[in-house]
Amino acid sequence: MSDGDGSRADDTEAGEAPVPDGTTRGPPADDTATDRTGRATATISEAATAPDDTSPASESPATGDDRTRTEPLQPSDIDVAELTGPERSLEPAVRLVWILRAAVSALVLGTVVGAVAAVFDLPLWAGPAVFALLFVLGAGRAHLRYESWSYRVRTDSLFLDRGVLTQVRTVVPYVRIQHVDASRGPVERAFGLATVVVYTAGSRGADVTIPGLTPERADDLQERLKRLAIAAEGEDAV
Amino acid sequence: MRLSALSIPYGAVITAARLGWLLVIVSFGSARVPGAGPLVAVAVVAGALALAGAYQFARWRRFEYRLTEDTLDIDSGVFSRRSREIPLRRVQNVDTSRNAVQRALGIAAVTVETAGGSDVEADFRYVSEAEAERLRAEIGRLKRDRGREDGSAGAAEAGATAADEPVEEPLFAMSTRELLLLGLVSVDLRLLSLFSAIVPIAAPSLAREAVDPLFSLAIAAPLLAGIVVTVSVLASAAFSVTNYYGFRLSRASDELRYERGLLNRYTGTVPLSKVQSVVLSENVLARRLGYAALTVETAGYAPGDSGAESAVPLTRRDRAVELAREVEPFGEVEFERPPSRARTRYLIRYAIVGLLLTAIAYGIDRFTGLSFAWYGVAALVALAPVAAHLKWRNLGFAVLENHVVLRSGFWSRETTVVPYYRVQTVIEGQTLFQRRRDLATVVVDTAGSRGLTGGDPKALDIEADRATELRETIADRLQASLGGHQAERRRTRRSELLAGGDD
Repeated sequence: MSDGDGSRADDTEAGEAPVPDGTTRGPPADDTATDRTGRATATISEAATAPDDTSPASESPATGDDRTRTEPLQPSDIDVAELTGPERSLEPAVRLVWILRAAVSALVLGTVVGAVAAVFDLPLWAGPAVFALLFVLGAGRAHLRYESWSYRVRTDSLFLDRGVLTQVRTVVPYVRIQHVDASRGPVERAFGLATVVVYTAGSRGADVTIPGLTPERADDLQERLKRLAIAAEGEDAV
Repeated sequence: MRLSALSIPYGAVITAARLGWLLVIVSFGSARVPGAGPLVAVAVVAGALALAGAYQFARWRRFEYRLTEDTLDIDSGVFSRRSREIPLRRVQNVDTSRNAVQRALGIAAVTVETAGGSDVEADFRYVSEAEAERLRAEIGRLKRDRGREDGSAGAAEAGATAADEPVEEPLFAMSTRELLLLGLVSVDLRLLSLFSAIVPIAAPSLAREAVDPLFSLAIAAPLLAGIVVTVSVLASAAFSVTNYYGFRLSRASDELRYERGLLNRYTGTVPLSKVQSVVLSENVLARRLGYAALTVETAGYAPGDSGAESAVPLTRRDRAVELAREVEPFGEVEFERPPSRARTRYLIRYAIVGLLLTAIAYGIDRFTGLSFAWYGVAALVALAPVAAHLKWRNLGFAVLENHVVLRSGFWSRETTVVPYYRVQTVIEGQTLFQRRRDLATVVVDTAGSRGLTGGDPKALDIEADRATELRETIADRLQASLGGHQAERRRTRRSELLAGGDD
């Protein structure tokens, strides 16, 4: 099962990742960095999902493997450039989760309106009409939301850009990361998705949520953020 | 160590008093029962006291605390036991409070706050005044020792003497004049303005009915408003006088200490190394008079805690700024204002609100029996440009060498100084309407407690490009300041050590 998912994750990895030229903070050799990142990603996720399974197909350099097993992790051991990456978008499947959510709330409201219409002798199509309208709006929003979502693991901060009506861009410096959760709700599980939540000590800490990742990507992102946070090695976060 | 033995009877009486209503019911009920007289009531009261006393005794027996070199250990709990270890390095604030009764008994409640959790981490109810003072001093001393050279035995030994207590340098003492002004200024203006807006609208319609008995209402309405104003002024004056009577702020090496209160006496410490941001707030009245309040935010307090008001309640503006610099040494501030198209935005927004209100007023006048001068509400639309300008004028932000300063608010203007090394996340937001005008908002999130109440420090409606730039600048300066800040802290520690050796 992890094989299929893994290959899909790899596909997206290879499919997208257009490195914007002349990004403000990227290292000069951006293309090669991306290349390495792609592979490093695979390495870590493999190590995370099946630590004892040494798959022959692994094209990872031996050093990377060693590093995942060293304990405890020293900040000096971590190669930050290897962990950073280009701008990434979410998995397209996340739209289905959002559409489903929109459908549920549209159904609830549609039922309420329908019931009211039935009681007060209003036209009976009001309920379905409300449902249809809300559903279409919700589906459209889900699509736009997906289009607007992107995140980037930068050298010293995580950058998120999302939002349809209100566009929100968040910078989360790695020094400030308290802990990172990877979670999978029942609906997400049904669609083979996972969510990463990054906590800071700030009053808006729980705001930093990246939904719509494959479990592999989520695990990988969690691992990467953990390492980057260790590498940043802040004083007390508060 | 144990709590003060006096906390047993005191706690018992407090608990019994809380159950007072129950006792009243029981004793009244017993009076109805034949054969039972006041004796039963007395027995019930005595029983309740005894029960509360037994519980308080058990609580006192179970509560044990110990200050070690680097932790504060507390064992407590009657029914479910808890033992807690608080690393002293993580302690944010130590506060004591004593109400009138507690002062007469010579006991005090001490609370110790760390950043995690919403509750107070250690709640000592109650210890003797001397013990409260000792706890505060010891925690401060041990923290300083920890902070210096971690693990360096020499420093710990040298600091073990009581003479290590650093010299307290008074920063601010509140004068009677300031105290009285505070009472006047801290009246909630929004409430007042609401009232004064209603009165002229309601008055003409009432006056038209001059022959009616309603005429008396026309006189009553302004009178009522007048009374409300007077009462609220008096109440807030009384509140500020009792709360801030004898306010003193002093600095002892790396801590701020405050002391305040008439009936309830509060004292506490705020470690300067844990300060998240400094907020200068001036409401409309205070601004007119050239006064301002200063709040020092740490991560420890829950919003609305008494400690959150621990800085300067009111003083002359220049003095407040000076004190703020004492806490966070920031340079000259030159505010950048949002572009004037932001003002247009507010104008349109307020005009729409005004029109809506007018429409509602018209609706009420037209469709309900209540008739009044609905067109009076239309005056609000005319006020929109003024309101928009005032809002715009009070906005601003400044990027300084080590701090970012953000200002907003007309009714209560708040100027927040955030050091870059305290920034948690930076959020740039752009609503649909902002995008139309190419504006954006940058929110600077810290671990301070104020964020929970909704008042995040932010640069509202600035140029979109400038917002992106600001976002990255703050993030970059945070990175740059991290190394520098650590080095600086090591330096100050060393110089402090040397200064301590000279004495």
